[in-house]
Amino acid sequence: MTHSAAANLSPVSVGKRTAAVSAWADRHFKWLMVAPAALLILIFSIYPLLFSLWVDFVNYDFQIPGHAFVGLQNFVQVVNDPLAWSSLVLTAILSVTVVAIEFVLGLALALAMVKMFRGRGVVLSILIIPLFISPVIVGQSWALFLQRPFGPADYLLGQLLGRPVTISWVGEVPWAYIAIVVADVWQWTPFMFVILLAGLSAIPSHLYEAAELDGVRAAQTFRYVTLPQLAPIILLAITFRLLDAVKLFDVIFMLTGGGPGTATYTMSFYLYQIGFQQFHLSIATAGSWLFLILLSVVIMALVRRLMRAEAA
Amino acid sequence: MPSRAMSLGARGTSLRLNAGRFLIIGFFVVFVLAPLYWVVVTSIKPSSDYLTVPPVWFPAHPTIVHYTAALFSYRGFQGLINSIIIASAATVLSSIMGTMMAYSLARFNTGGQHLAFWVLSQRFLPPVAIILPIFLLFRSWGLYDTRAGLIFAYTFMTLPLSVWMMYAYFRQLPKSLEDAALVDGLSRWQAFWMVAVPLAAPGVAAAAVFVFIAVWTEFFFALILTSRYAFTLPTIFRAFLGFQGMQYGEACALATTSLAPSIVLGMLVQRHLVRGLTLGALRG
Repeated sequence: MTHSAAANLSPVSVGKRTAAVSAWADRHFKWLMVAPAALLILIFSIYPLLFSLWVDFVNYDFQIPGHAFVGLQNFVQVVNDPLAWSSLVLTAILSVTVVAIEFVLGLALALAMVKMFRGRGVVLSILIIPLFISPVIVGQSWALFLQRPFGPADYLLGQLLGRPVTISWVGEVPWAYIAIVVADVWQWTPFMFVILLAGLSAIPSHLYEAAELDGVRAAQTFRYVTLPQLAPIILLAITFRLLDAVKLFDVIFMLTGGGPGTATYTMSFYLYQIGFQQFHLSIATAGSWLFLILLSVVIMALVRRLMRAEAA
Repeated sequence: MPSRAMSLGARGTSLRLNAGRFLIIGFFVVFVLAPLYWVVVTSIKPSSDYLTVPPVWFPAHPTIVHYTAALFSYRGFQGLINSIIIASAATVLSSIMGTMMAYSLARFNTGGQHLAFWVLSQRFLPPVAIILPIFLLFRSWGLYDTRAGLIFAYTFMTLPLSVWMMYAYFRQLPKSLEDAALVDGLSRWQAFWMVAVPLAAPGVAAAAVFVFIAVWTEFFFALILTSRYAFTLPTIFRAFLGFQGMQYGEACALATTSLAPSIVLGMLVQRHLVRGLTLGALRG
């Protein structure tokens, strides 16, 4: 044993072994390069999804011992929970609303900013600040800004309207919805703006020159030149935002806490409440699977489109 | 590329159109700055200035007591240190793993379109769909409420970003120098580390900054996977809001501490912003 070990350590065989190892490493180079990242994604994404698939069909609840097989009961519980449906509906309405507003405002801003002017660089830097701020801080900032009655929002509105305004922004419907929309629009309009601005800047100038020679009016140039040229980028930006908007959680958590009552529960917030506040793990997991299946249809479509854009 | 000024200058403008433009821009600048100003100014207000009508726009006697209180009496300092350590470590790991994978995908088309597709789709996976099993896994592996656990979680979370940004970057980079290195007798590994990575350094740096910002501002994973020890800055705020009424000054001091570095970093990579936001799909 010791003898052969000593033999292995002779310079010649060490050199041979290193050469063999490096030849092997070179042969499998491309797979070794993807291995660490792929392994981590397997552990954090595929394993949890498979594990939760099992949890879906058993009883996994910190309040009830054991993991008995319960069939589809967890799914039935979610589907029969009116709060799950209202959360889903609110998620859909809120995401479509915020993305629509962010698109319109972002496009207006991009059109306004596309031409050079003095101080444009500074303005651009200011406009993108929200993209670098934690959504939690965004929620907190707006909670403070909208606070009744000492925050600036009610006071400024009061000055503007010439009478005292005491809106309870986070405690009353519909103001709570408006507060959430304002906070989300504040944070993500810059996303639309930056992408659309890049798209606008990339439109070849000869198209505009041709339109001008033909005496086309500005509105028509926008309709027949700008929009068609911008279309693929608009689609990309909207789908990107939509897929992030449906995860809305942080701002709800900080701003309204789901309230008043359960009025501002989004799907992510609902699943969090069921799973981590009430500890009905298998019900929350069944709900998140259903949510995921709904989303994956949209996700697949977008990712395919992005791959095509990348291949082009 | 035609210059932006030319392309639209050719369209001509009326005075009214210009007024409209600057009205929109001005409105947005105020809209963006207002809540930020309010947070920063609240962080230096004496407590007596919080609850007044009309609001105090700037305190007569600015103070830094909320910063010292938040950092040293309310464990904000630990959150800051945790955030720095966790974000830095996750950035390093994600950049290394992401650059390696991106290189393999770009140069060898490893796993065809499927592997790249699979990595990208992780970006859109809602965290709430995977967090329960990760939470249980962390508890049984002793990773719950540890920095190491959160570092791994964030490395995973940011891999689609670093892989795809670098994937786009390597595809633009010519192969010829690496081929020359191989001819000179370098191994594939040496060609990667000694030729390709130095050439891609600007891309790696930009991607790393985006990864750092993503981790620095993340809330959901930290909320669920930490409690008393490995908590990061974004998770501290809820403690202030429920605790002894409202600690506005402290919460705002921490918010300012947290948003200042990520805004500065963001300004540094402003040029790469479109690429960062779309994972390299658009070059901007």
